[in-house]
Amino acid sequence: MNARVVFTIAALLVAGPAFAQSKGQLRIPEFAALADKASESVNVTLDANLLGMACRFLNANDPEQMAAKKLCTGLTGIYVRHFEFDEDFAYPKVDIDGVRRQLSAPGWSRIVGARSNKENTNVDVFVLIDGGKAQGMSIIASEPREFTIVNIVGSIDLEQLHDLEGKFSIPNLEIETGKKPAPKKP
Amino acid sequence: MKPPNSNEHFEDGLRRALRPVDAPDGFTERLMRALPADAKPVLVSSSGAPRARARQFGIPAALAASLLVAVMLGKHVAVEREQLAEQQGREASLELMRALRLTSEKLDIAYQAVQSPPPAGAEENRS
Repeated sequence: MNARVVFTIAALLVAGPAFAQSKGQLRIPEFAALADKASESVNVTLDANLLGMACRFLNANDPEQMAAKKLCTGLTGIYVRHFEFDEDFAYPKVDIDGVRRQLSAPGWSRIVGARSNKENTNVDVFVLIDGGKAQGMSIIASEPREFTIVNIVGSIDLEQLHDLEGKFSIPNLEIETGKKPAPKKP
Repeated sequence: MKPPNSNEHFEDGLRRALRPVDAPDGFTERLMRALPADAKPVLVSSSGAPRARARQFGIPAALAASLLVAVMLGKHVAVEREQLAEQQGREASLELMRALRLTSEKLDIAYQAVQSPPPAGAEENRS
């Protein structure tokens, strides 16, 4: 009996970190080995704490940062991996496919998928819908000489995403928000 | 009989010189008059007094100094921590802006791909 209790506690301790991962957060590799090969790399890992700190230090007088501040209040994490190379396909596609497979889990929906065989460009935009609300967004974009993985975790207010139009050059993705879309800014 | 040597002469002379002699008349009175009338006793401090004073004030002073050092150290640590948090916050905000710009760039590519009509015969697959 005691052995069973100890085993259960041990199993929970081992499995703890897996449960600790918040909903919508993908397991994105660090791609540490690629950083040396890449001509340019961006690795952004902002968990809830860092994101909170980042939001506090955004400049309210800058419209771009003000829009970001509004957007990030409901977010619990932003993870970005971006690598550019001097040669074609210098990155392992297996790792990207591994991330893509996670997006086939229930709740995730691909809202945009663009393939260009001519330019060998793939861009997929996924949204995690839970309880009628967007709880996460992911982008996987790959080109011969670069790839980008974006994972935004948390409550994404699509209205605020619309508000970012013109500030980050975010286009109107025509996502249903339940309200009439805001008129497009020049 | 031995003749007296020089040593014995010297001892006899010394004895004569050191024999008790009564003070001359009026010596005591003259000496007392010569002394100052309001002679005050000279105070000689013993080494025990400072030690007692140190015991009285030393421990509270050490405690106060320790407290002051602790407060100043705590304040210094708090300021350093605040500066570190501010630096981390600024770096994180820069990272956030970089992440959002990259996100918008990729969303823009997706948007362009969806919006632009495919050229005739082009192998494009959009959903």
